[in-house]
Amino acid sequence: MKGKVALMWLVVGIPLLWGVFMTLQKALKLFQ
Amino acid sequence: MTTGFFARESTVAGPGFNRFQVPPAALAVHLCIGQAYAFSTFNLPLTKLLGITQSAPGDWNLKDVGWIFSIAILFLGSSAAVFGRWVERVGPRLSMFVSALCFGGGFLVAAFGIYVHQLWIVFIGYGVLGGCGLGIGYISPVSTLIKWFPDRPGMATGMAIMGFGGGALIAAPLSVWLMAHFATPTSTGVMETFVTMGVIYFMFMMIGVFSVRVPSPNWKPAGWVPSTKPNSLITTANVSVDVAWKTPQFWLLWGVLCMNVTAGIGVLGTASPMIQEMFPSVTAVTAGAFVGLLSLFNMGGRFFWATTSDYIGRRATYMIFFLLGMALYASVPTIGHMGSKPLFVAAFCIILTMYGGGFATIPAYLRDIFGNFQVGAIHGRLLTAWSVAGVLGPVLVNYIRQAQIDSGVPKAQAYSVTMYIMAGLLLIGFICNFAMRAVDPKYHYKGAVDASDKGGH
Repeated sequence: MKGKVALMWLVVGIPLLWGVFMTLQKALKLFQ
Repeated sequence: MTTGFFARESTVAGPGFNRFQVPPAALAVHLCIGQAYAFSTFNLPLTKLLGITQSAPGDWNLKDVGWIFSIAILFLGSSAAVFGRWVERVGPRLSMFVSALCFGGGFLVAAFGIYVHQLWIVFIGYGVLGGCGLGIGYISPVSTLIKWFPDRPGMATGMAIMGFGGGALIAAPLSVWLMAHFATPTSTGVMETFVTMGVIYFMFMMIGVFSVRVPSPNWKPAGWVPSTKPNSLITTANVSVDVAWKTPQFWLLWGVLCMNVTAGIGVLGTASPMIQEMFPSVTAVTAGAFVGLLSLFNMGGRFFWATTSDYIGRRATYMIFFLLGMALYASVPTIGHMGSKPLFVAAFCIILTMYGGGFATIPAYLRDIFGNFQVGAIHGRLLTAWSVAGVLGPVLVNYIRQAQIDSGVPKAQAYSVTMYIMAGLLLIGFICNFAMRAVDPKYHYKGAVDASDKGGH
């Protein structure tokens, strides 16, 4: 059951982290 | 009565089910429907469908294209209000499925509208059908999460509603990448992008459909004992949706949400031109980065503030939103005069955390005031405040700014009055929140409710 929960979090977490990373990468321009 | 896979009874969790599987199921839906916040990435390409590199005669104009998003938000609020009780009755699985059908299908219908170049079909597709998907999807996991996490309802709903904020962070780069991938010398790639996104979002939302579960009637977290400490603003009774909206508490919360969202959405919609006009050194690209940063804080605030509200209380959390928000809005003109970009960015990042926090904390506030019974449906009706704010916020900011410029005020200072008016709106929200009291017992639901619907703290 713990493995299934971890998998579920990975499935939603990976795209979310990708979105956060892309946004932060762009946001750095604000302070350059 | 629904039977089979989609029946509420089929989604009741068995013994040993880990409740932390439910928030990602809710996130699978909210991360998709949160795409709506990034719809503006399609605005310019939609005005070049015929001309490809630039608008040609017969192409749609930006003003008309802007209606797609407005219609979607209007139908988000309306469908949440109309279908809230149905969502409560059929449970999260069927409502998430219908949401996936509407949202994914909305993209496909809109893609057809782009293919035949008929804007009204895009309005029907993304605006009406997609908007219904947004509304039903937004409220579908709320009451389920509250039942799974009676000990931390703010954190649980905050996690899901955080996904709505985070959806834009994924959708914006994804849309740009897909349009670039599908673009040819004879196509902007928007139609193909709509088809692809419709299919991807439908499939991703189905993960939530398959994995969501509701607790069994007598379930409660292991070792959790409801607090016996008296708190007049956390009820142990229940109020039905048809009665709730007749209470003053509903309209006070409606005012709280509407004022908080109006102030935030007005700024979010004009953040890009505002930073460019207040700080002439900021380019359009940098302004885009600023908007992205605001979206990030909007998302983070949803989880942070909703979780915080479990510890300090819902009313205290909104008190912070309104008092700190007023101070920050009122200080923006001074920060602009000082020419301090870092302070300006910091002030708006904090404001946006509270904008998102307002959305994420409201379901738990409703549960505290009206009980678990039909809290999802009550939440649906309260979201009409969002639809009103979605029109009021941008109109206020744009109208006042234009009036200021027309009266000869330099562009860099044209936002000062707007900021003071936003602070005034937050003062109204503060008064609504301050006036909040427990619901009169005459409104309490007297019928039998499921054990997991009983309130408590």
